[in-house]
Amino acid sequence: MAKACCGPGYASPAEAMQAPREKLLYTIAIYTGTGIQKPDYLCTIDADPESPTYSQVISRLEMPGIGDELHHMGWNACSSCHDDENMERKYLIVPGVRSTNLHIVDCGTDPRNPTLFKVIEGSEIKATTNLSAPHTVHCLGSEIIISMLGDAQGNAPGGYLHLDKEFNIIGRWENSMGEIKFGYDFWYQPRHNVMVSSEWAAPNTFMPGFDLEEVGHLKYGRELHFWDFEKKEPRQTMYLGEDGLIPLEVRFHHNPDSSHGFVGAALSANIIHWWKDTAGEWQWEKIVDVDNEPHPDWPIPIPGVISVILLSMDDRFLYLCNWLHGDIRQYDISDPHKPVLTGQVWMGGLLGKAPEVNGVKVTGGPQMIQLSLDGKRLFVTTSLFSTWDNQFYPEIRTNGGCMLMVNCDTENGGMEIDPDFVVDFGKEPNGPSRCHETRYPGGDCTSDIWI
Amino acid sequence: MTKVTVTLANRQGQTFEVDPRKTLLASLSEQGVDLPYGCKYGGCITCAARLMSGSVNQSAQVALNNRQINDGYIILCVARPLSDCCLEIGVDSHGKLYRNPFLDPLADHELKADIAAPMKENT
Ligand code: FES
Repeated sequence: MAKACCGPGYASPAEAMQAPREKLLYTIAIYTGTGIQKPDYLCTIDADPESPTYSQVISRLEMPGIGDELHHMGWNACSSCHDDENMERKYLIVPGVRSTNLHIVDCGTDPRNPTLFKVIEGSEIKATTNLSAPHTVHCLGSEIIISMLGDAQGNAPGGYLHLDKEFNIIGRWENSMGEIKFGYDFWYQPRHNVMVSSEWAAPNTFMPGFDLEEVGHLKYGRELHFWDFEKKEPRQTMYLGEDGLIPLEVRFHHNPDSSHGFVGAALSANIIHWWKDTAGEWQWEKIVDVDNEPHPDWPIPIPGVISVILLSMDDRFLYLCNWLHGDIRQYDISDPHKPVLTGQVWMGGLLGKAPEVNGVKVTGGPQMIQLSLDGKRLFVTTSLFSTWDNQFYPEIRTNGGCMLMVNCDTENGGMEIDPDFVVDFGKEPNGPSRCHETRYPGGDCTSDIWI
Repeated sequence: MTKVTVTLANRQGQTFEVDPRKTLLASLSEQGVDLPYGCKYGGCITCAARLMSGSVNQSAQVALNNRQINDGYIILCVARPLSDCCLEIGVDSHGKLYRNPFLDPLADHELKADIAAPMKENT
């Protein structure tokens, strides 16, 4: 296929890995819940080591209002549109979890200075679809679907918002939510006609903060849902039970023929692996179990709280963060049934194993991660969610979040924190802010899906 | 319609006359008070403030657990004053709002209203 005729992204994961190195990062920074009465914003960070402003925030795009709580974001187009020459990876869709506003940000016209292209007001989304609390954004060919964690009153299970490529609301994407109790993340693998979705909690449960007792009252998720992607309805539910408390980030292999995928169960601190067996049945198993760690001041050992997982573009490595322990781990999952721990670094956390990194006292723990397409650089930020930050890491109010880069050995395995890269969000012009998800202009390891 | 007076204890005791039919977030924002908010329907806790005296109707809120209510927190985006009130506002009033859930668990009666056990009789 001639490259010149093509749309966004890459013909295959292998081609994506050959892309030029990322020079810019887009990272969310929030003031919601910090006491600073300023809008949340999208930062552009210089990631070009040859540049004089390397490892600095070079522009900031403020949202129009306060209180959005920007969280995750996604592109208008990815490699799933690679054959469509009329499509362009130009816009980031940046939702506010608390406000339900969707901000459409033009990153294509001037990649170093993104601008606000359009806002879809939360009130309009609630009125037309009875949905709120947007989370994951994926594009579906030339269309966009967004997991919405609540109805207009913040009750579970919510559903999926469907937008066209001009960012008009089409309505609800799903034909049925079946018996699904909660929503959170999702990923689809079209060659298997499957989508997998995970479960956090109702917005009214998780937004005010985390009450541990509510897990026992079944207010948090413990199930994984396998959808008939074409019929847009759930087909099968896996009850993960105590092994799968609060299953969050869902990642399929990038290889579009593979049926293997993974989810991190945050509170159980386990990695769950699923696949389709030779009889065509979906199976699951626990492949990583992070032990709780004792702490002198805690009556019970601290759970890792796996807040994120991610797969390298070649599907060889799985990365996870233990937000409360403070470590980032690299597993070789060449055999997805038998992961091998190949790397580990420490960044913040409650165990006190990384008080200072690159001259910055890290507040919070490793939380969101994004990996370069070639798999060699992992960018890590520290804030999880404003109210949860305030509970577990109250000092983040005055210290702000930070971003570090971890160099990953893709041949032998192994990780090392880069000594020359640090973005200290404690020093932002309007006061300490908190950084969350990161994306690169050319696509990254959590955005692109191949049809 | 008779107005009620809202005093902001941690804003030099400034006072505002407000319409009791409106939410406190709406009335105070209209009069120039800079207040945090998020969802605006009583579910996300961002707008919480502390009621030092007076009373409000906040029956629409679903964000607070019973411990937070007993500590005096109210949800300004849905709360309407039932009398003159004195408030502490903003994140500087949130000292008791957030607690580490592992170090400081809630008793059964301190959970959110929909799952809380009834209060025990006086001991
Ligand atoms: S703004 Fe969300 S509870 Fe008031």
